[in-house]
Amino acid sequence: MVKYSVVGHSVPQIDANEKARGVAEFVSDLQFPGMLYGKILRSPHPHARILHIDPSKARSLKGVKAIVTADDTPKIPFGPRTEDWNIFAVEKVRFIGDEVAAVAAIDEDTAEEALDLIRVEYEELPSVFDPIEAMQPGAPLIHDKERNIVSEFKLNKGDVDRAFQECDVVHSDRYYTNQVYQAYLEPMACVAHFEPTGKLTLYLATQIPSMTRVTYAKALGLPLEKIRVVVPYYGGAFGAKMETNLHLAAAVLSQKTGKPIRMVNSREEDFMAGNPRVPMYIDLKVGARKDGTLVGKEVRIIGGSGARAVYSMAIVATACYRVDSLYRFEHLRTEGLTVYTNTVPTSCFRGFGNAQMTFALESSLDMIAGDLNMDPAELRIRNGLKTGEVSIHGWQIGSSGLEECVRKAVEASGWEERRQEKRFARGVGLACCNHVSGNRAFSREFDGGAGIVRIGREGKVLVYHGESDMGQGQRTVFAQIVAEELGVALDRIEVAPVDTDISPFGLGSFATRGTVFGGNGVKAAAQDAKRQILEVAAEVFETIPSELEARGGKIYVKDEPKRNLSFEKVAEICLLRRGGSPVVGTGFWAPDTVLPDPVTKYGNVAPAYPFACQIAEVEVDTETGHVNVIQYTAAHDVGRAINPQTTEGQIHGGVTQGIGWALMEDMVVEKGKVLNPDFRDYVIPGPLDIPPIKSILVEPVDPNGPFGAKGIGEPALNPSPAAVANAIYHAIGVRFTELPITPEKILKALKERQK
Amino acid sequence: MKYPLQLNVNGEVFELEIPANRTLLDVLRNELGLKGTKEGCGAGECGACTVLLDDEPVNSCLVLALQADGRRITTIEGLSGAGKLHPLQEAFIHHGAIQCGFCTPGMILSAKALLDRNPYLEEREIRENLVGNLCRCTGYQKIVEAISSLVKRKD
Repeated sequence: MVKYSVVGHSVPQIDANEKARGVAEFVSDLQFPGMLYGKILRSPHPHARILHIDPSKARSLKGVKAIVTADDTPKIPFGPRTEDWNIFAVEKVRFIGDEVAAVAAIDEDTAEEALDLIRVEYEELPSVFDPIEAMQPGAPLIHDKERNIVSEFKLNKGDVDRAFQECDVVHSDRYYTNQVYQAYLEPMACVAHFEPTGKLTLYLATQIPSMTRVTYAKALGLPLEKIRVVVPYYGGAFGAKMETNLHLAAAVLSQKTGKPIRMVNSREEDFMAGNPRVPMYIDLKVGARKDGTLVGKEVRIIGGSGARAVYSMAIVATACYRVDSLYRFEHLRTEGLTVYTNTVPTSCFRGFGNAQMTFALESSLDMIAGDLNMDPAELRIRNGLKTGEVSIHGWQIGSSGLEECVRKAVEASGWEERRQEKRFARGVGLACCNHVSGNRAFSREFDGGAGIVRIGREGKVLVYHGESDMGQGQRTVFAQIVAEELGVALDRIEVAPVDTDISPFGLGSFATRGTVFGGNGVKAAAQDAKRQILEVAAEVFETIPSELEARGGKIYVKDEPKRNLSFEKVAEICLLRRGGSPVVGTGFWAPDTVLPDPVTKYGNVAPAYPFACQIAEVEVDTETGHVNVIQYTAAHDVGRAINPQTTEGQIHGGVTQGIGWALMEDMVVEKGKVLNPDFRDYVIPGPLDIPPIKSILVEPVDPNGPFGAKGIGEPALNPSPAAVANAIYHAIGVRFTELPITPEKILKALKERQK
Repeated sequence: MKYPLQLNVNGEVFELEIPANRTLLDVLRNELGLKGTKEGCGAGECGACTVLLDDEPVNSCLVLALQADGRRITTIEGLSGAGKLHPLQEAFIHHGAIQCGFCTPGMILSAKALLDRNPYLEEREIRENLVGNLCRCTGYQKIVEAISSLVKRKD
């Protein structure tokens, strides 16, 4: 294996020092001269016609600077995928939390007081909250879409009916994956500033700065060049922080007042108007032969998009077909429906639909393995795609460490012994997953990543990228890649915050793509910078660039180690000889991913595909129904870990969220109202809910990833709910097909079994 | 109506006049500009706003500023004097216990109070004592490892 000096080494995140000292400025910390504070008036009704808005009383409150409604906006319907968004409700409100108006005031208290003084007359309309009910004839229409169906996904391959007839075992089950909340610690936030020049600067917590800018330009009726997006530090996202009307409300208030406006969701608002996970009903039928070969899969999914489509249809589509590139299914019938309801719009949450489907599929496979009296681990290995295979949908598996993940997880967890010496109410469960690193089906316009590497006179390297670090350690990984390419120490590298005035157009941080795309982009830029440095150094040494090498912070003449110059010195010479120009390397990486065919879905959506196997061990308290996860093993094919420490950190966090989803997290919604919009009633895992997690890094070295790396963000969570559910089955013999598996459900099931 | 308030924050004394309904969190962030103390929920449930009040960890969003009158407050900014990091800050950095960093200041202050009270902690005790501080990124493992690296051994 090639030895690298920075890549592949565990190093602390490059911004950890600032964060540890509390001096890193997060979006909700930003302050500007003259800044005002905004608050949104949200609909108290799930579905109602707006008859009249009277802001006059609120306007006269001391300290109120502006009140805006839809009438202050261009009323251009927009949206990241559909055009069913308005900045503020036009004519109708469609969920409790829908944006009706916004206030800017000298402080948050005044803004909130003003909200109470805005009089809105509503005429309530019939509403519908469950996607299956919303599809029935006569259900109230939320937008003008027949049966409230946002979109349909259909896919047939082979002859699934005949395949099932020839199977030795077929399992048909209904699963339900519930609506859960990303629960990042910093609520959604932004500062918007319409400057006197007519330029709007938005300081946003967003995973997709460049794409957000395009969407917002449309919504505000502004040319793209008038909008600048800057991404400061922000406190987690996990899929939720893409486009949000919060940002646009701030922009409209700033336009009206000419002042910078800071807006931060309260935690309650974040629950009621954020972007929680798309809930899904999944009817899944899977058939296998006696020897464990999986043959056919039939699935019908109904996903609830809430009151407007964010990315829900793409999420349902992903749930429909991504797992077909995990195992070798030959016969498929797939239907996915995305349906409007009068509830909070749902969207991306770590896993993007694949997490929902992985719960269903991996639970079904556990049952199939049981019926066949086969080791569930063996079943996965037998069917899992291997390096060099092309999946039924055309996905080219450049590297697959799936089998190694299964074998290593089995070994590290004591899987075989624990299955054999079955103890009362204790059990082990296994689940696998695949994922993508990048998703061509999502980024339809182009696929790629880009970077800029600027080297100043003093040899300081500043890296620009267009992705988004929400805390996962992306900046650090980019810095490591650039340091490796330039042959300098990590502390020479700084990574600039994303600023769309300067940074490349990055598609952003989603689809577990940051490391692969951003990483390859900054790598290409570093190579370009290095080429320039070596050209100038070659002049100094009176040789040609190919006779030079950069390592250890120096430029050497090959085979003559005494002839060398420090990197800093060469950077200075470059600048002095080139009229003061810093070295600016630019580069991009545009992989030949293939957009899926609209009908057959045949394509190749990502340049690299990560895999994983996780094993949970649980103990069920049969008196209380409480599930204690006592051991957890997570083996992940990450291609190559650029930074093993941050990669492990992603695994720990993903598994923890997965365990939370499996056992405790649930947005309780009654008549469209979220009943538990706080951390007292919506409980996320605390330090006692999670056992130490054994993480295992499997590194097959992918041909397309930077230094062989693939992504880790989403696969870290995907298999966890199924691993836990399968362990619970092993422990107490009860199969749960609905999330979360709460103590109440366990006690009820145990009681029923006793009867 | 405003009331006089004297706060001793990180060893510095501040004389303020504030309305009775303002929280300690609000005063620290918006009057004193100490933005290292974060607001994650405003309801005492997440622990991001943890500060030390006479060496005891409190959710500063639940403490009225006037209740802290004349008392000693330590915020994250007070831990790293003269450019030197507190050992807990060093440990959090080197163990990879920081991801997004929003829970970090509160987490470090809770850990400090814990270690000051009892330097001989088992892992289980560390976990038990951090239940008031939520973290959504790390799964707590590296946080627990960071704190464990500083406990004293009883032998």
